[in-house]
Amino acid sequence: MRGLMDHVTNVRNMSVIAHVDHGKSTLTDSLVQRAGIISAAKAGEARFTDTRKDEQERGITIKSTAISLYSEMTEEDVKEIKQKTDGNSFLINLIDSPGHVDFSSEVTAALRVTDGALVVVDTIEGVCVQTETVLRQALGERIKPVVVINKVDRALLELQVSKEDLYQTFARTVESVNVIISTYADEVLGDVQVYPSKGTVAFGSGLHGWAFTIRQFANRYGKKFGVDKQKMMERLWGDSYFNPKTKKWTNKDTDADGKPLERAFNMFVLDPIFRIFAAVMNFKKDEIPVLLEKLDIVLKGDEKDLEGKALLKVVMRKFLPAADALLEMIVLHLPSPVTAQNYRAEQLYEGPADDANCIAIKNCDPTADLMLYVSKMVPTSDKGRFYAFGRVFAGTVKSGQKVRIQGPNYVPGKKEDLFIKAIQRVVLMMGRFVEPIDDCPAGNIIGLVGIDQFLLKSGTLTTSDAAHNMKVMKFSVSPVVQVAVEVKNANDLPKLVEGLKRLSKSDPCVLTYMAETGEHIVAGTGELHLEICLQDLEHDHAGVPLKISPPVVAYRETVEAESSQSALSKSPNKHNRIYLKAEPMTEETSLAIENGVINPRDDIKARARIMADDYEWDVTDARKIWCFGPDGNGANVVVDQTKAVQYLNEIKDSVVAAFQWATKEGPIFGEEMRSVRVNILDVTLHADAIHRGGGQIIPTMRRATYAGFLLAEPRIQEPVFLVEIQCPEQAVGGIYSVLNKKRGQVVSEEQRPGTPLFTVKAYLPVNESFGFSGELRQATSGQAFPQMVFDHWATINSDPLDPTSKAGEIVHEARKRHGMKEEVPGWQEYYDKL
Amino acid sequence: MSDIEGQEIDANMHVPLPVSTQQTEEDFNFQKFDTKEHERSGYLGNYTKETLSEKLANYYSLDELSSYLLKNPQFNRMTFQFPDSLVMDSSFVIKIVEKKLNESDPDNKRRLWVLADTAYSACCVDEVAAEHVNADLVVHFGDACLNAIQKLPVVYSFGKPHLNIDALINKFKETFSDVNSKVCLMASAPFTHHITAIVSKLKELGYSNLICSVINTNLINDNVTILSQNQIDPANATLLQTLGNRMLYSDNKSILTTSNDEDKSIEDKLREDVSLFYISIPQDPHLLYLTTMFNDVFIYDNSNDSIMSGPFPSLMKRYKYMHVARTAGCIGILVNTLSLRNTKETINKLIQLIRQNGKKHYLFVVGKPNVAKLANFDPVDIWCILGCGQSGIIVDQINEFYKPIITPYELTMALNQEVTWTGKWVTDFEAALKDVEEELATGPKEEDNITKDESDAPEFDAVTGRLIDTSRPLRSLKHLELEGPTSEDKTLAKRVSGGTVIKGTVSTSVAHLQSRHWSGLGSDFKTDEEFEEEGASIEQGISGVARGYGFDRHDAQKKE
Ligand SMILES: Nc1nc2c(ncn2[C@@H]2O[C@H](COP(=O)(O)OP(=O)(O)OP(=O)(O)O)[C@@H](O)[C@H]2O)c(=O)[nH]1
Ligand SMILES: [Mg+2]
Repeated sequence: MRGLMDHVTNVRNMSVIAHVDHGKSTLTDSLVQRAGIISAAKAGEARFTDTRKDEQERGITIKSTAISLYSEMTEEDVKEIKQKTDGNSFLINLIDSPGHVDFSSEVTAALRVTDGALVVVDTIEGVCVQTETVLRQALGERIKPVVVINKVDRALLELQVSKEDLYQTFARTVESVNVIISTYADEVLGDVQVYPSKGTVAFGSGLHGWAFTIRQFANRYGKKFGVDKQKMMERLWGDSYFNPKTKKWTNKDTDADGKPLERAFNMFVLDPIFRIFAAVMNFKKDEIPVLLEKLDIVLKGDEKDLEGKALLKVVMRKFLPAADALLEMIVLHLPSPVTAQNYRAEQLYEGPADDANCIAIKNCDPTADLMLYVSKMVPTSDKGRFYAFGRVFAGTVKSGQKVRIQGPNYVPGKKEDLFIKAIQRVVLMMGRFVEPIDDCPAGNIIGLVGIDQFLLKSGTLTTSDAAHNMKVMKFSVSPVVQVAVEVKNANDLPKLVEGLKRLSKSDPCVLTYMAETGEHIVAGTGELHLEICLQDLEHDHAGVPLKISPPVVAYRETVEAESSQSALSKSPNKHNRIYLKAEPMTEETSLAIENGVINPRDDIKARARIMADDYEWDVTDARKIWCFGPDGNGANVVVDQTKAVQYLNEIKDSVVAAFQWATKEGPIFGEEMRSVRVNILDVTLHADAIHRGGGQIIPTMRRATYAGFLLAEPRIQEPVFLVEIQCPEQAVGGIYSVLNKKRGQVVSEEQRPGTPLFTVKAYLPVNESFGFSGELRQATSGQAFPQMVFDHWATINSDPLDPTSKAGEIVHEARKRHGMKEEVPGWQEYYDKL
Repeated sequence: MSDIEGQEIDANMHVPLPVSTQQTEEDFNFQKFDTKEHERSGYLGNYTKETLSEKLANYYSLDELSSYLLKNPQFNRMTFQFPDSLVMDSSFVIKIVEKKLNESDPDNKRRLWVLADTAYSACCVDEVAAEHVNADLVVHFGDACLNAIQKLPVVYSFGKPHLNIDALINKFKETFSDVNSKVCLMASAPFTHHITAIVSKLKELGYSNLICSVINTNLINDNVTILSQNQIDPANATLLQTLGNRMLYSDNKSILTTSNDEDKSIEDKLREDVSLFYISIPQDPHLLYLTTMFNDVFIYDNSNDSIMSGPFPSLMKRYKYMHVARTAGCIGILVNTLSLRNTKETINKLIQLIRQNGKKHYLFVVGKPNVAKLANFDPVDIWCILGCGQSGIIVDQINEFYKPIITPYELTMALNQEVTWTGKWVTDFEAALKDVEEELATGPKEEDNITKDESDAPEFDAVTGRLIDTSRPLRSLKHLELEGPTSEDKTLAKRVSGGTVIKGTVSTSVAHLQSRHWSGLGSDFKTDEEFEEEGASIEQGISGVARGYGFDRHDAQKKE
């Protein structure tokens, strides 16, 4: 396997992504089975990739898991590969990711280190929210998708659909996928839509271990009809019909006499499958052998005695082995690291595109300086220690090699967030097993031992001291649901703190921090995510009994209008004054900052250009942004709009420090500010430097910011989930009544064509979402399951300073909890009269 | 050049205001305080001009004071220390006492000084100020913490403030409707004068589980005298516990034995069962201390006859600050007392401990520290304040200070390898010092830091949830593999990309300076556009000192 890693053109790094329960892990298993790691009998039961106890108990994937597979292609197949290849052995590094929205960050981390994605879609449920989310994310990372439509067996066995219905279902699903792809695909990827006739869509059943692409059938029939394979593939999908009488292909669904013709796909592809199903499931003992012989399927010894579903499985698996179809699709259509890094490099690297490291990434050069991105930490059997899991993008990583470990805050030339350490060991990650290797060249996915204590969640490793960081990952989910944890027994405190550290490492997205009140907070993306994190914390990372508060949500403080008058604050010595106004930023701008489109780390001029072109900013203003806040990267900015103020440069550091402070703890109830733009209009400074030091400016700028903020129609924002609920028609009423009670807003309600299922989408304030699943289950007798994902911040449109309003109540409640004075101080508190 | 040369610059000459933007509507001027009518009825009760002198003499027990002074003729240079709120009484007091002294000895040569505007906390004896006049005695007026000082003898006169006891009893009844409530009554030193009277009145009303706190008489010795103090008759009451400068008595011996846990300490029982009823408003640090000692706290505000029950300073917030200190790279030791005993020892040991942990420190002695003063030192990540536990510690309740402020006790916990939190609020230096010493003995040795590989890993900051690599700036450079100048080399510092290496560590000050946008004159001088070919033209500058420049005075004169 190590040998294969050097032939990077023959490596495929890919993630399996999908909506929850669409069968990713099951499909992965059927692939792994082929590589001989778990026995055929256990496929579909013992999850190779779901290694955690709770994953097995709950039947869902929580952490993504990587495995490597080996595959050999025939010479003929290899010829069809449209990128550079070398021989016919292939190494496939596959990552099975969780489908539940709460764990989307695991998907993000998986996507970062892969170049292709196998998108799994359930035949019956079709494209769901999470399918869209993960696909969008994949395309955003310039990852090429192929699709497998899974659980086809259910359509046949449970729904008993006709061939044409099934075709229509397939076609619709493919179309929905393509709609998403065309919406989000990056131009540089070219056409990445999927086409069954090109072999980029497979159909099958992971559970039963079979799958096929049109290409496989085209192979069979091409020879028989003497038609070129490519042509055959096109004929086997879409409006293409075969007239058995005339032996002619046509695109009309009737023959010359107006008699209906059968669609080629139904006739050549679905028919044999339907027949096998019919024969086996109806126990037609005599028909079966005939059919098997026709299809060249040979049953061995005791397999002959099987009946019903068991027999069906064996037969189908022999007829259309899933691994064949999927591996073929992956190898033929997904890019190798060499191909992919060529177009991904500039998007992966923070530095300039013409810098040596970027070029090395582009060329996937194993001899260049090392560029390695650690995307997540995987716990080892050694408690508290982790493998750093990541991908080598350039150079070769070796055991014992000294590398620069650059954390997310590293800036080239500076010493912060930088460590130089030796890598103890390089390992291959295979599900729950690891295998040490000596070194690993560019293009591969590996685990590293011995650097975990220098990185919290992710980071860049390099051997070049000029290297910039690889771009940090942006998650599609936000940790908006939080709880406070405390130890039951005071002596366990050290263990809790250590546990919190381990927890933060082990999950790409969880946040642990301390509230103003001194409580330890764990913040997750949803109730499930939190539940899992807390369980891990209690039983694993900390290993001590914990008290856990009911969940609360994080809020934001914002403004609705421009300050009604300019806010003035005087310094404590009265010798300096700051005049400013606050105003709201557009939601688009805030989102762009939060998504890294407008990046505080970017060059000012380039950033100003983007802001002017895409976000309607005045270029001069955009160039005069002094800082983003809080933490230097939040969605609030200070703009210098002063004219010719002397000594202004000297107070910039103080103003920046004050703004970070003010935006971190807003004046309403100490939550972060969001979407607030502060324009400094004028500054009066004392001529003597001693009178305008940090001590005078920092408190003053903070007060001025608060005053400006409170004069600008302050509001609070609450996080809102997008909920998607699939259910049968009779349950829809129940859903509405629960949504109504919980301030939910229905966005859409659609019936999924060809099924009795309805999909309801709604916005639901996170604050109301606690216990929502339970109530929903009750109101619909267990027929409705919601998927909830953070969607946006919604401004609560009432005055938070009025304790009788909705916003005021929330504020009042929170201030009380935090031990603050119950009344929100007014702007007068921070404003100084002339 | 020539026309400026030789010209005398008159400090009062009017120079255009040297502020950066032109002022139109108003000029800066000296700040003036309004003079307020002295209002004394808050503590003296009703008085008239005529009775004032008599009332004050009674209030401060001046008879007793005079006879003490007469009995101790060895004190020749005496200082009378007043808190800001009582300074207005100082001249009366001096007059009265001097008169008494003169009466008994016509050629009285003994001298009296008033000490006002105490540099640190008013509850403490300002020994340093007293030493300025070589005093041999300090008489301290008003509320006091009774903390031991280095050497001078002290006489305390708390004052005997007026209090409407009936109103207070009514409020007490409202607060504790159940006569079996376990309540401890406590008051500031002046109001402690009334405490026995209040307790006996409440007993008449049927309250049976009361604890009464009086001044801790163990603090009285040869050097410490307290004027007119109410004593508890030990025959009628048992001493339960001493809490710093108070002793808790109760006549109900079984008051704390009801909890079935026999092996619990009295302190624990107080914390679990007993409410505190405190008369007058304690200073923040003292209030915080009290909230950690009792189950809950009610404060009787005598000025407006009301009960306050929160929000009080929160100990949990201190827990957060303790965590901030764990990952702080630079600690500012803020000395807010000079007279408390053990101050120097504590500072020295703290510095030793901070060093041992590879952290940096600066020592500051600041009189009356405030937000603006402390915000001037931005490399400081956290302040550790040494001050009197009653009022000399800044407890920032509204996050007003730029960087948090902790106590030596909290810092010691923070510098422990293991996260520790006792839930106690210890402000006493002696106790803190003991902890520091213990920590010094058990803490990591500097050599360990270098040898252990783990030690140079970044630390997890539980406050922000991030890894911090600047928490031990003084540790070795190994993690960066930088080379400092060798010992043979004569150079002191070596420049490396992004910093300077001095004495084997990256200089944090250099790094800090480099991280600033503005790092001194000329650092923002980047464009040629602003460059003047002929050199800058000379302008008339300002003269005078920062407190009052020429133009400031000029303005002030103009105003008058
Ligand atoms: N009938 C049928 N059931 C399937 C098929 N594939 C998976 N399942 C079932 O669907 C359920 C979910 O399968 P998983 O493989 O765990 O799905 P997943 O996508 O990995 O789920 P998450 O990782 O939790 O998002 C299991 O009960 C499987 O047995 C299939 O092809 N046909
Ligand atoms: Mg799964």
